[in-house]
Amino acid sequence: MTNERIEFDAVVVGAGLAGSAAAMVMAREGLNVALVERGQKPGGKNYFGGAIYTHAIEEVLPDYMDRRPPFERPVTEAGFWFLSEDGLTRMTVQGGELKKMDPADAYITLRANFDLWWAEQAQEAGAFLIPKTTVVDLIRDEDGQVVGVQTDRPQGDIYAPVVVICEGVNNLLTQKLGLIDHDLEPAHIALAFKKVISLDKEAINARFGLRDDDQGLAVSVLGDVSLGLPGMGFVYTNEDSVSIGLGMMLNTVAEYGLRPYDVLERYLQHPAIAPLTKGGQLLEYGAHLIPEGGYREMPKLYTGGAMVAGDAASMVNALHWEGTNMAIMAGKHAAETALEAHSRGDFSERVMSRYKDRLDEGFILKDLRQYRRFAQFLETHESFMEVYPNFVNDALGQFFSAYGKPKKQLFKGMVGALTDRRSLLKAAGDIVSMARAVMGW
Amino acid sequence: MAMKQGDAFEAKALSEEDKASLPDVYVDDLLMTLKYFIDEENAHLWIKEHEVCDRCEHKPCLTFCPVGVYTEGSDGKIQVAYQSCVECGSCRVGCPYLNIGWELPRGGFGVAYKFG
Repeated sequence: MTNERIEFDAVVVGAGLAGSAAAMVMAREGLNVALVERGQKPGGKNYFGGAIYTHAIEEVLPDYMDRRPPFERPVTEAGFWFLSEDGLTRMTVQGGELKKMDPADAYITLRANFDLWWAEQAQEAGAFLIPKTTVVDLIRDEDGQVVGVQTDRPQGDIYAPVVVICEGVNNLLTQKLGLIDHDLEPAHIALAFKKVISLDKEAINARFGLRDDDQGLAVSVLGDVSLGLPGMGFVYTNEDSVSIGLGMMLNTVAEYGLRPYDVLERYLQHPAIAPLTKGGQLLEYGAHLIPEGGYREMPKLYTGGAMVAGDAASMVNALHWEGTNMAIMAGKHAAETALEAHSRGDFSERVMSRYKDRLDEGFILKDLRQYRRFAQFLETHESFMEVYPNFVNDALGQFFSAYGKPKKQLFKGMVGALTDRRSLLKAAGDIVSMARAVMGW
Repeated sequence: MAMKQGDAFEAKALSEEDKASLPDVYVDDLLMTLKYFIDEENAHLWIKEHEVCDRCEHKPCLTFCPVGVYTEGSDGKIQVAYQSCVECGSCRVGCPYLNIGWELPRGGFGVAYKFG
């Protein structure tokens, strides 16, 4: 038996969006990178809405379009659907800003395909993928500096002067390192669950009003979808399937004794939603947590010899459904910092802190800081998802009904659709706190 | 507000109307679509102390788990079908008594999404 240590220039934990981005950037610059993935292959553990933003992909891989990324459809129409018990009001935009970019600003994807392709790009750049391997702990020297990872393989310790932790939402390694002093808080994480339902392309195009297979719809669904409780639904059109599901705060699901699959089925059976997937075959059901605590729930992002990126670092903008782009950008910034550390031959906490500087200069920390109150907003405005989507449906429904009554009564009725649910004063308060949460005042 | 833990856990009730509007889904029909590499030797989920569950009035794990891993046996004990787990992490932090042991499956084992 040899006692030779397995050594790399860098170890990345997790071949997801952040991890493979970090591995790609470091390997391309000549570092010897181990990319450790616990799944059978990259992507196998990941489940999301969802869409991936090209601005972030381009930052890491400028010629990505020539490398045949497994995109489903571009997002050519986006917006909100407001569901009441039996009604639906759609507020979506197509063309305009969404049409200006080619390639599109965002593409709808399925993670089992996308993450596999993304990791292949890292491998092509020279990173060494180690799949089917779970990292169980970090190795630290006597000063507490991270110097490698301990895996669940026999003699599976891997040494490297820098470790990029992209372990996902269940950030147990980050917790073990003491970068955050508590586990996930149910009130700050969404339990998201969805179905992928197959439908032929023509049916998708006809039902969702898309011209052809090169158009795609991405919407957030508010209101009855979550029984009016804090939560949000979504619909994404894939090439020949539809991703449809919802996320609800875990504390809500637990406290109300909800079965996620019952809530999802109720949404799918809604009279305005059911026709959309009628006749489709269920391809896959799954669930995943989303860290929605935002800036206030972020761990410390670095320590000597290690950095944290992506969901593990709570890099999600819940309102805008952004997170995939932050993960990719954070992976890139972590890689740049690792490269800087290698060129200086210094992996101390002081040099690792340059990772945070890089995040500060970009949009990630700016956005998360601005939205820091948003996570608390829905917590303290529990009835928000019940009041307003119902109001919008009632008010518009009244506006477009003839009734045969004087219009003065119509507008009274429309105001009543709101004030029956929430006083005007409270509604004004809601608008102010919503604006505060979004603008970061 | 943080979820209240332990004996302080507060169950909330849906309106009768909302309750009646929820269909009764047989979760195994959904699990049929999932691919797993099952680790027959190691359970990566476990109940830490069954006595703690006896004290738990509402047992939210029986409902919030998105794949129905937790069921109540005829002896009243919570049973853990770790083989169906999709590794979301809800039970680790959603159990009001933090009484569920949770580890990542060994490398290569567990759920393997085909679509994601």
